[in-house]
Amino acid sequence: MKYQLRHTTHYEYSGSVTLSHNEARILPRSLPWQDCNNTRLVISPTPDRLRERTDFFGNRVVYFSIESLHDSLDVTVSSDIVTRPRLASDFFSSIAWESAVGELQQDPRMTNRDCLEARLYVLSSPFIHQQGWLADYALDCFTPGRNLVDAVLQLNSKIFNEFIYDPEFTTVATPLADVLSSKRGVCQDFAHLIIGCLRSLGLAARYISGYMETSPPPGEVKLLGADATHAWAAVFIPGWGWLEIDPTNGCVPDERYIVLGWGRDFADVTPLKGVMTGGGDHVLSVAVDVIPLREEASLL
Amino acid sequence: MQQAANAVTPLQALLGDYPGHAGHDELLDADRQPRAHWQGLLDDIAALGADTLVARSEEAQNLLHENGVTFNPYEDDPGQLRSWQLDCVPWVISTEEWELLEAGLKQRSRLLEHLLDDLYGARRVIQEGLLPAELIFTHPGFLFSAADDPPQVDRPLLIFHGTDVIRDEQGGWQVVGDWTQSPAGVGYALENRITLARALPSIYRDAPIKRLAGFLQAQHRCLASLAKTQREQPNIVLLSPGPGSPGYFEHAWLANYMNFSLVEGDDLVVRDGQVSMRTLGGLTQVDVILRQINDPWCDPLELRPDSLLGVPGLMQAARCGNVHIANALGAGILEHPGLAAFLPDLCRALLGEELLLPCRETLWCGSADALARVESELDAWILRDVSRPGKVYRADQMGLDSLRDLRASLQHHPYLFTAQRQIAGSVTPGFNTQTRKLERQTTTLRFFSLVEPDDLLKPVVERNYRVMPGGLAWLGEAGAPLMKSRLVKDVWVLAPVPQPHISLLRQALGPIVVTRDGKDLPCRVAESLFWLGRYGERLDSRGRLLRESLARLLQDDRQESGSTLLPDLLRALEIPLDPEDLKVADVAGVPGRVSREYLVTRDRLLQMFADDLPDGLPALFGHFVRNSRAVRDHLGDDTWRAINSLRQQFNSISRTRGVVVGQRHLEAMVLDLAAFFGLCNETMPHHYGWRFLDIGRFIERTLGSLELLKLALLTAEEPGIPLWEVVLATTDNLTVYRRRYRSQLHPLAILDLLLFDETNPRSIGYMLKRLGQQIAKLPSPGSSPYRNTEQRLVIQATSTLHLVDIAVLADIEGSETAREALAQLLDQLIEPMSELSNAISHSHFSHVEAPRQLVSMHYSGQN
Repeated sequence: MKYQLRHTTHYEYSGSVTLSHNEARILPRSLPWQDCNNTRLVISPTPDRLRERTDFFGNRVVYFSIESLHDSLDVTVSSDIVTRPRLASDFFSSIAWESAVGELQQDPRMTNRDCLEARLYVLSSPFIHQQGWLADYALDCFTPGRNLVDAVLQLNSKIFNEFIYDPEFTTVATPLADVLSSKRGVCQDFAHLIIGCLRSLGLAARYISGYMETSPPPGEVKLLGADATHAWAAVFIPGWGWLEIDPTNGCVPDERYIVLGWGRDFADVTPLKGVMTGGGDHVLSVAVDVIPLREEASLL
Repeated sequence: MQQAANAVTPLQALLGDYPGHAGHDELLDADRQPRAHWQGLLDDIAALGADTLVARSEEAQNLLHENGVTFNPYEDDPGQLRSWQLDCVPWVISTEEWELLEAGLKQRSRLLEHLLDDLYGARRVIQEGLLPAELIFTHPGFLFSAADDPPQVDRPLLIFHGTDVIRDEQGGWQVVGDWTQSPAGVGYALENRITLARALPSIYRDAPIKRLAGFLQAQHRCLASLAKTQREQPNIVLLSPGPGSPGYFEHAWLANYMNFSLVEGDDLVVRDGQVSMRTLGGLTQVDVILRQINDPWCDPLELRPDSLLGVPGLMQAARCGNVHIANALGAGILEHPGLAAFLPDLCRALLGEELLLPCRETLWCGSADALARVESELDAWILRDVSRPGKVYRADQMGLDSLRDLRASLQHHPYLFTAQRQIAGSVTPGFNTQTRKLERQTTTLRFFSLVEPDDLLKPVVERNYRVMPGGLAWLGEAGAPLMKSRLVKDVWVLAPVPQPHISLLRQALGPIVVTRDGKDLPCRVAESLFWLGRYGERLDSRGRLLRESLARLLQDDRQESGSTLLPDLLRALEIPLDPEDLKVADVAGVPGRVSREYLVTRDRLLQMFADDLPDGLPALFGHFVRNSRAVRDHLGDDTWRAINSLRQQFNSISRTRGVVVGQRHLEAMVLDLAAFFGLCNETMPHHYGWRFLDIGRFIERTLGSLELLKLALLTAEEPGIPLWEVVLATTDNLTVYRRRYRSQLHPLAILDLLLFDETNPRSIGYMLKRLGQQIAKLPSPGSSPYRNTEQRLVIQATSTLHLVDIAVLADIEGSETAREALAQLLDQLIEPMSELSNAISHSHFSHVEAPRQLVSMHYSGQN
């Protein structure tokens, strides 16, 4: 699939900001199934300093500072994205979930490199702590000896079925206990939740931030800026790799999903963060467009 | 040593029942004979004798105390004041033993530097399974953002390294801990050496001890050559968490000794990729930061967002090589106690060498074998949880419930736990001033290593380290933390021959021509000095007024006169007093002359000594001390001694119950404050820092004097000679008045003396002149040809004073017009002076707003 991606973040401050240092993780990364062309980042006011680097997780990070008085900040990224089917589409693995846990706990000298790298994602992270009650929530999917992929997919559906998508309910950092007890949240909470469950069982799971193409209701025209950033998860299948799962939609991500980056949890891939002096209160507005391009359109 | 069989030698007397320890003894060999490397020192000690040793120990203690050598966090709280005790007997290491130990310490620093380089670079040790991922990635000291792209400039990460070592029962060395972020204790080690050399000159002068001063010189050279641009005089700052931190004394000490600016996070700002310091003259570029803040708190942008100590953008500036941080951010991972279990293998893999210095026996519970072993003999181990730094679990000292929780945690997150074997240390002698004998002590030692300044630019494999030939030893169970100890010792490393004595041990190391205290004075320091002046002066004027009031109270009580000044004085002291309270008849049962009025007034006055009163003396002193600590490196040793003397006064002042005791406290306080300000005038360079102190002091004094005059001449309930006398006594002008006017007190003469006479340092005229001169010499931020607000305010007040028609004020007692004129005059003086403080603050101080996060993320603390 081909998409034109456009993501604008706009902050309006009630007072003037004299100095701000920022970090943006909003440049999509290239992957075997994802090309990113003509990626442009436009920041207003123009940063006094801007540097790009690759972080620990391989994501693209842009540091920028704005060092003169400003009342608003506008960060827009645009990119032409090509996505192809992920390997997962014709995927088969017969490993039992307990064996996967066992492989992740092997003596580090006896195991393979992929497994070693995945072990970071079994551990607790700033927003996600291993908890007995998270494992308990998932246990009816993870029955003894069950195939790992089947169990993961069932847990993915279980969260989709039992939870209500409610943007009013959560903040950036709603504790998982609240999400679980209220059965409400947004994509970020559900991603954190499934990751928390998998890690509490001893599996490796990571957090993915990105976008998803949405379709307008039948018969209506798609509105500009109506898409949103999205978040989902991936679980490590020993001997195969990372299987993406989207508990918000109860499905396995396909070509309609565009990956920005990944990390242990939201804290590692916060799209835009900053420390500023001054500014008072601020109003945030975000507009995302994921516009599908038909072949002939892209030729124009 | 050949003596008659039954005579006790001085040495035997000192030793008493020291001998007899079963394990390794530093002093005595298996035959209970002193080891050769102790002989010289023992002879010296025996020759001095117990009496002299006691006296010298006390002397050393006084020196330490006067210099304010402390390391406890809540020093401002008067009840908590605690210096450490310094043993006059050092820990002695022979030349041969030192060579082995030194080689081991050097290797360890090299190994840790290699490990750090790998952990934030290729992470080969993890990919090859040498170190488990669970060990590294669960430690809060591993900074993911320090593991991004390789740095653009290759510099050592571990510049400076502290290693805690013990000698075990068998006489072998064991490493018990590493300090790799900002190792504390070098300053203490040097201060101990200086103190003991002063207290025991006969022993220290000729002993063949390796000297320490060269090490700090090398450190200075090292830090200076880190700067990328190799500027002739790189700007090096010492970044401290501030006076509230336990190590602040040492931060100030080091900054002073090494001639670095002592700064806090607020003093620094990242602009245009550079780190700069906010100074009176604007922003000054910083090249090297010697940081004393722990990793996670250094940069709220990339590290802990809730940090108020750090500098936003610091990591990025360091990443680009525009500033160098010693030690590099992320070095805290090396403090992981569990690494000890892997070091022998790592040493073989990374250096191709066998580990020379063994670590204390350590098991990392993340491996199944280790966990099983720890669980089966829980009592034998000390457990640490990396997610709770500083927390230590000892099963043999835990209740059943907490033990059950611990076992559960071990099962759930075994990889968070490291088990260290409990160890017994060797014994070494210490002199007990109570029993006047040498006693057996167990101690832990800290040594310091530094990357060789000449190897700084070489690749990691060629970098070597040097070790300070000496260190810090402290009393306590082997491996116990330094901060919990109450007694420290100097560490002697013996040289084969006597070493040249470097007498100027405390000479600054920086280049000779440096313009410290000039325009590069940090704004925060200027501000603290300003408030130091104001609070010091306020304390002084309140103290004097209170002293006079207490004297008056005693006098009134004796005279039983009908009228009293006390209500007026209470008003001057801003002590609220309901007149109704005083009018109640004498309390029945209280002996005759003691009236209720006396009791109530006395209680109100003595309340000024109470800790909890917001405007009481202890509260004012608290402000004074806090500001003085924030500028510790700008005050001389003697000045600091005056502050310490005040601090001792305030230790007991809140318990003051009697009027006479209160008076005595106040007398002492007034003298100490005079000493403080006098020493500031005598010893501080008369540059910007001193000017701000002086301006603060004289703004406070001007305002205080004007209010006092207003009270005495205009608003008092009982005006007249007795009150005027108090005013003159409070300003210490009574004698001057008598000598000059040789008359009864007269209001006009008082006005002349306290308002107009520019030669009297207590007169408003003098103070305005002084303020005007000081303010004229402050740096002006712009280059405007016009006078700034501060200058205009002083001119306004001065002109008002100069234009007074004295004749109009002539009859204050009789004429309402004269009183109105005076009231107007005083108000016209008070107003610009009140504004002056704000104007100075606005023009010169930084007003740093706390930086805020764009997205507020509070990590949940659940576990």
